[in-house]
Amino acid sequence: MGKALTDSDAWALLDGRPPIDAAASGGFDLDGVLAMAEHRLEGLGGGWLILDGIDQLLSLEPDPRAALDQVRHLNDWCQARRITLLLTGKQTRSDGSQPLDLEGVEFMLSTVLVLATELVGRRLNRRFRVAKYRGSAHITDELPLVMDDAGLHLPYSAASEAARTAASQERIGMGILRLDRILGGGIYRGSTVLVSGAPGTAKTTLGVSFALAAADRGERVLYLTFDELDDRIVRNAASIGLRLQPAIDSGLLKIESRQAWNSLVEEHFITIHRWIDAFQPDCLVIDPVSALLKAASADSAYMTTERILDETRARGITTLLTSLIDTDKPQTETTLSHASTLADSWISLEYRIHGGERNRALSIVKSRGSAHSNQVRELLLSGSGVDLADVYEYGPKVLMGTARIEEEHEVAERHRRQYVERAQRQRDLERNIQQARLRMEEAQSEAERLTEVLERERQGNAETKHNAAEHRQDIQRRRAADGPTTGKDRGTE
Amino acid sequence: MNGKNDRETGTNTDLILFVTGDSPRSLRARANLATAVEDIADNRLTVRHIDLLQDTSGVAEYGMFATPALIHVRASGEPTVLYGDLSNGPELERFLANLQSPETA
Repeated sequence: MGKALTDSDAWALLDGRPPIDAAASGGFDLDGVLAMAEHRLEGLGGGWLILDGIDQLLSLEPDPRAALDQVRHLNDWCQARRITLLLTGKQTRSDGSQPLDLEGVEFMLSTVLVLATELVGRRLNRRFRVAKYRGSAHITDELPLVMDDAGLHLPYSAASEAARTAASQERIGMGILRLDRILGGGIYRGSTVLVSGAPGTAKTTLGVSFALAAADRGERVLYLTFDELDDRIVRNAASIGLRLQPAIDSGLLKIESRQAWNSLVEEHFITIHRWIDAFQPDCLVIDPVSALLKAASADSAYMTTERILDETRARGITTLLTSLIDTDKPQTETTLSHASTLADSWISLEYRIHGGERNRALSIVKSRGSAHSNQVRELLLSGSGVDLADVYEYGPKVLMGTARIEEEHEVAERHRRQYVERAQRQRDLERNIQQARLRMEEAQSEAERLTEVLERERQGNAETKHNAAEHRQDIQRRRAADGPTTGKDRGTE
Repeated sequence: MNGKNDRETGTNTDLILFVTGDSPRSLRARANLATAVEDIADNRLTVRHIDLLQDTSGVAEYGMFATPALIHVRASGEPTVLYGDLSNGPELERFLANLQSPETA
């Protein structure tokens, strides 16, 4: 900025600092500098007159009201010539520890901007406030002001300028198939996911998985890490089969590292804002957002997080935040970042200790707009990637790790035995049925045989009866032939 | 006094009075300084007047934003300044007296 001013012909710098031992004898005015300004600004049809530290000079004026008259005179003079006047001067502190040389000046000027500084965590915080802006709507809040190599910034006023993106119905994956399934098909594009957990619960792993899945879809991903350097993120992810380097080489993934404690929260915000502007990501990972609590600020880091999310939502950037939980309140799963209320989906990671083992558990605390599973799953990390496994409830406990594997084996063996027993019982039944059928066939044959025998018996009886009848008739005929007849040709028996 | 810069007082100028035309403060400063110099009656003391309305170079050269202003440039090149219409007699006398001391001359 300095070189641009030096090279410009459109401005002139005059050193009007009074000497240290300067004194005053009676009243004075600023007509000298006005004469100079008129000479320099002549023909420009306007311009700016900036008197930096005017209080230094006016403090020598023995009559404070005369000093204010000088300011009024300056203001009138500039208005008459369409020149914008910018005065800077010190303001007294509320405790009166510094003199106020321009008390009351705010009543005669149309615009008053108040700058302040405050030490927070041994870091200088600059603040900005529009105390007066006559005839114009303006924000009256005190805002943080950041000064860096790129100039002066009012970070939070710039954040609200982005146009708002409509809510998407599209679901996108997080790189873990089973996790996407229990989320009801993935998270909504443009939504915010919070992954919370204690240190070592694989928050970063989920962030990396999410980033890699997005890059695999051809989307641009900005990964901001506060805890680790970028090369370590790449190395550690590779150990579980998540290869980030190809995505980085293709330009789809950009990993940026920052030290949270080394800057003000507002400076982090500006940097993140710049990176988003420059990279135009589809997806953003901030790992962990709770690190912002380590950065000094007169404002709450929570508000900064909220402003970042406002920005990403407005731009339609799908955002994954990781956050440490408040270890003082583990039962409430409260996150240090207080981002849980801001996120659309909240994935909680925790350790479950059982049988001398510490295992990672994953559950979905909330997922707005989705019918998601409420079951706890075991998060498995291996050289082939990340996966989820069902857990086994054993009384009041949930089995994971070796206990889960043993239980799985026992269940499998039980199922195998049940299968074998069932198959044996089935075979026995089939054999019994077969035997029964054979017996039925034999009985049928016997019945048929007996029926035949019976039939034969019946036929035999009939023949016997017939034969007996014939025999009797034969006897009768023979008797009749041997004895006297009572009739014409037969006798009585 | 007229509005012209008084550059005819010789090369041994000790004091420069910056004024802006015939403004009331400028007129008072000229009169008060003339009286004071006369009272001192030191013929080694010379006064140069610069009217910034006529010659604005003094603003840049001496950084004189406020007028009237009475300047003495020490031998070291450091200026000492008394702002105002010089109506505070004791303050003006103190300023002029310091000019004559070896430390500040």
